[in-house]
Amino acid sequence: MKILVAVKQVAALDEDFEIRADEKDVDEDFLLYDLNEWDDFSLEEAMKIKEASASEVEVVVVSVGPDRVDESLRKCLAKGADRAIRIWDDSIEGSDAIAIGRILAAVAQKEAPDMLFAGVQSSDQAYAATGISTAAYLNWPHAAVVANLQYQPGNQSALIRRELEGGLLQEVEINCPAVLTIQLGINKPRYASLRGIKQAAAKAIEQMSLSEIGLSAADVGATHSMSRVRRMYIPSKGRAQMIEGTIAEQAAKLIQIMNEFKGV
Amino acid sequence: MDNAKQITRVLFESFEPQAIHLFYAIGYLAIAIFIYGVFVQIRKYRRGKADGSWNELFGRFVDMLKTMATHRTLVRRDKSAGRAHGLIFLGFVLLFIGTSTITLEYDILEPLFGIKFWYGNFYLIFSLVLDVAGLSLIVGLLYMMYRRQWLNLPKLDYKRVDRQPGDPDFDRSQYRREDWAFLWSFILIGITGFILEASRLVWLSEQATVWDYRFWSPVGALLAEIMHGLGLTDQSAGVLRPYLWWFHGLLSLTFIACIPYSKIKHIFTAASSLMFKDPLAGRRLPMVPDEQKTAGYKTITDLTWKNLLHLDACTKCGRCQEACPANAVGAPLSPRDVILSLREFANHALSSKELPKEAELDIHGKGIGQVFMETLWSCRTCLACVEICPVAVEHVPIIVQMRRNLVEAGEMEPLLEKTLQTIHKTGNSFGESKRKRAAWTKELPFEVKDARTEPVDILWFVGDYASFDPRNQKVTKSFARLMQHAGVDFGLLFEAELNAGNDVRRVGEEGLYELLASSNIGTLQACDFASIVTTDPHSFNTIRNEYPDFGGQFEIEHYTTLVKRLIETGQIKLKKKLDCRVTFHDPCHLGRYNKGFDAPREVLKLLGCELVEMGRNRDNSFCCGAGGGRIWIPDPVGLEKPSANRMKEAGQIEGLQVFVVSCPKDLTMFEDALKTSGYEGRFVVRELIELIDECVEYEVWEDSAVTA
Ligand code: SF4
Ligand code: SF4
Repeated sequence: MKILVAVKQVAALDEDFEIRADEKDVDEDFLLYDLNEWDDFSLEEAMKIKEASASEVEVVVVSVGPDRVDESLRKCLAKGADRAIRIWDDSIEGSDAIAIGRILAAVAQKEAPDMLFAGVQSSDQAYAATGISTAAYLNWPHAAVVANLQYQPGNQSALIRRELEGGLLQEVEINCPAVLTIQLGINKPRYASLRGIKQAAAKAIEQMSLSEIGLSAADVGATHSMSRVRRMYIPSKGRAQMIEGTIAEQAAKLIQIMNEFKGV
Repeated sequence: MDNAKQITRVLFESFEPQAIHLFYAIGYLAIAIFIYGVFVQIRKYRRGKADGSWNELFGRFVDMLKTMATHRTLVRRDKSAGRAHGLIFLGFVLLFIGTSTITLEYDILEPLFGIKFWYGNFYLIFSLVLDVAGLSLIVGLLYMMYRRQWLNLPKLDYKRVDRQPGDPDFDRSQYRREDWAFLWSFILIGITGFILEASRLVWLSEQATVWDYRFWSPVGALLAEIMHGLGLTDQSAGVLRPYLWWFHGLLSLTFIACIPYSKIKHIFTAASSLMFKDPLAGRRLPMVPDEQKTAGYKTITDLTWKNLLHLDACTKCGRCQEACPANAVGAPLSPRDVILSLREFANHALSSKELPKEAELDIHGKGIGQVFMETLWSCRTCLACVEICPVAVEHVPIIVQMRRNLVEAGEMEPLLEKTLQTIHKTGNSFGESKRKRAAWTKELPFEVKDARTEPVDILWFVGDYASFDPRNQKVTKSFARLMQHAGVDFGLLFEAELNAGNDVRRVGEEGLYELLASSNIGTLQACDFASIVTTDPHSFNTIRNEYPDFGGQFEIEHYTTLVKRLIETGQIKLKKKLDCRVTFHDPCHLGRYNKGFDAPREVLKLLGCELVEMGRNRDNSFCCGAGGGRIWIPDPVGLEKPSANRMKEAGQIEGLQVFVVSCPKDLTMFEDALKTSGYEGRFVVRELIELIDECVEYEVWEDSAVTA
């Protein structure tokens, strides 16, 4: 029994960031990297199944990204994942979520897991498409925004509850293997202690090239993606201003602004 | 004088040989039971992990003797109990030496070499000394009985704060029974000894060599006179004596046999505990060897032999519990109970021939002898317990080691977990960008040097609270101005400075601590400076006491000593005296941790303040509640906060104007507490730097004074 967990190292903006010269992304100097928040939950869900199971369950994490991603994979290993795989090739740069799905599907074909978990979305790009496109390439059933999962290793299907708008829940029975995108709050992710992360450094992270998973540069990258980033920018500021003074002064000022706005 | 050789006491006088043999047989049995007990104890300690405290054994031994002889640690904060213990101790030691002297002559020197010395003048002085010893023992014990029965001291109440009534280990009445059994058997040994002595005097009142010298044993003589007065004849005394003799003898032998099995063993365990005392306990926490698989203590066998020895040294005196701020506000923590729980656990699990299975050695949980996670997280690592313990029990290292295990298992408050992750990610507990660490310098009218790029005399390690907390930034700026004014050549690490790690380590996140410490040490080593100064006692402690373990040897001082020097040398010129009534709160990490009690007080004096101490001051200062990572854990609703408790104490000072602190976390904690505890408007909370600042601010005044 094997569960594949697709994870991503996401970027967060530091204070006072700058946009890259080509205007397509933020300058890397101003980014702080960490494991995507959703992935903490999907890994935890896999770990829970592993720990509750009487039979052997292997949890394998996989990520697409450059060297720096090893740090996040190590965190997953510290939390108890059995193996970690990282796919990278410079030609992958610029791939959209669908192209990443293609890569992950290729890994899944090679690894042949019984389940594939991914986060609902990534906190930096927020396409919420990678998991689903992986399912499409694999031609597996999928369920998005999973808030509850009942699954016994070896079963032909799993019972899930999906979160819908307006507080609705949908109970779904899904055939396995399946791709599930896991929602925040489904469990309480464990803490990876720094000693644990340090000790995980001893575990190898398997690096795979595109050819090892049966793909080539012609399948990935910006040019072979169906969407491309044209520009990233900070919109010019709205006209917010603080109104100061006594209550009466503030009211007078407010009326004045409203009148200006209406063109009176 | 009669023939000196006849002035002595004939041992076993008029005993049948069989009786003497029987007594020896029982004596050997008692010693065998004693030795077996000692063996079991030592086997227990040997089941603990290794500890490197064997260095400087002779010095430690001398220190222990000094501590024991002066009863220095016992009279602190409880003079009468300490003195009463001193009487018992004196009595016991003298009686022990006396008995050994008799054995030396009777069983060794006389049979082997025919040497006798226990007669004549020596015998008489010996009798006098031992009578005084017996009296001292009984008086001491009587006071202890009175204390237990009538003083109703909360610290002698063994009811537990972390258990509910009805739980099997809630009130621990067996401890009370043991205490009383100990007191009674001990005092009975003393009393029967005297009656025995008196009955011998009556019995032998016809012999001049006995009766004429009776006042060399004054207590016995007095009792003998009373017996005479009551009409006891020498014959009936002769009949009574063997009964008394056997009762006294058997009780004493039983007492000896019981030593390793009961609280009496503290005679040995407390002494050894004092001998293996670590002067840096809690100030410098133990490192975790890289190759060790899990951090911290999970099972009882993870404790070192020294820890196990400390557990056995505890005499349940309750001083640690009385000093504990967590306990004072009703948190489910008593340092004594942590020690006693683990001790019961160790005695249960490690005393039999075979070690139980691994699973039965787990010290975390809700069972008997296990320690609750809530208990461990209630500790503020303020060190009040370690500092006051008369027998050198070191609670804090054990508590932190247990927390390390909780951290590894992720068993902690979600907020704390978040903070640790934040510190890992950003290097500070505020989750601010590294680049903003020195943002406060931008508002200064002068440039602050970057110690990474140019040599400085003094490197200022600022710390998280002083760097990021808006209220503390004001103080930080004042201090920068003060240093500039004094002409100090100083610089900062700017964004290269990380959280010093003191509290991260005390939380128990050792891996993160290692990361922070080694990064800071690397940064510091790459700079050129003479010494470090900090306004943060927490950073001060870890850099001073713990960085050396990681290869970082730095000269560091807290700002209070630096400022005091600068004022005394005239580099800081005070233009104005503050005429106000203040009190000073000793921060744990400056005071108890590093003995920095005097400098802040002297600075206050130099400023002209009238210092009125709170009841709990200096080594007995009361923690603000922020230590040990508790600043990142919300306090439970409904419980009083330690800081509020402290405000109440300060509020009792008539006419108090300023509550002075010298720690950024204190400023935050107490300004909050001032608002919530209803003293706002009565007095204010100020950092000492702010008071100094008020006295030096008049640069212009100097000019005008010159022209005037
Ligand atoms: S360190 Fe302070 S809070 Fe912790 S147990 Fe000791 S006295 Fe209590
Ligand atoms: S640990 Fe020390 S202070 Fe606390 S009760 Fe035991 S002997 Fe007393």
